[in-house]
Amino acid sequence: MRVVKLQKIKDERLLLKNLQNLRIAYMLQTIGIIGILGYVFITKGLDGMRKNPLWFVFILTTVVSAFLSMNISVEYESRKRSSKQSFLISLVVLTLISTIIGILTSFTEGFTAMNGVFIAGIVFLCGVVPISYVYYLRKKIDNQAD
Amino acid sequence: MRNNLKVARIQANLTQQQLAEKVGVTRQTISLIEKGKYNPTLKLCLEICYALNKTLDEIFWVEK
Repeated sequence: MRVVKLQKIKDERLLLKNLQNLRIAYMLQTIGIIGILGYVFITKGLDGMRKNPLWFVFILTTVVSAFLSMNISVEYESRKRSSKQSFLISLVVLTLISTIIGILTSFTEGFTAMNGVFIAGIVFLCGVVPISYVYYLRKKIDNQAD
Repeated sequence: MRNNLKVARIQANLTQQQLAEKVGVTRQTISLIEKGKYNPTLKLCLEICYALNKTLDEIFWVEK
């Protein structure tokens, strides 16, 4: 009689296959989440959808996968400017955008100047995180070059 | 990918199972490499060469 032992997979071919299987499972799961959210959106509207905890899971996985794919696109890009230069340009553009949004908000009826500063701050923070991450990745790749 | 793994393994007097155990993979993986249906990593190629006392050239080199 043959004894089947369950042990940690070391075979590289099976590890690869396992990853491919996970990809299929992830795809199905995402389709399921989108389906459920779509259903809630139709029955309960936008607010109902956003109150659903699945919405949080969906946003979180989207953000995580976006950050992980930055890792790949940074390696693929051909750059003319130095990392520091691109970082500074992005920062200046982001500051401009958040300032404009802040000014527009504070001049909108029903909002105070404090609201404007608050919104601008949030926009700036949301932008500064990915920009710094891309800068960090580019720096890492620059250091690997030689 | 074509290779000379089958010949080298038989010369070393090993079965697929024995070679698989030596390099730490499953028998199916060895079988697929011999048939040219699986593209092994360089690491696994080296492990196979060490197990069979051959060089990479002897087992995996194919003329273009």
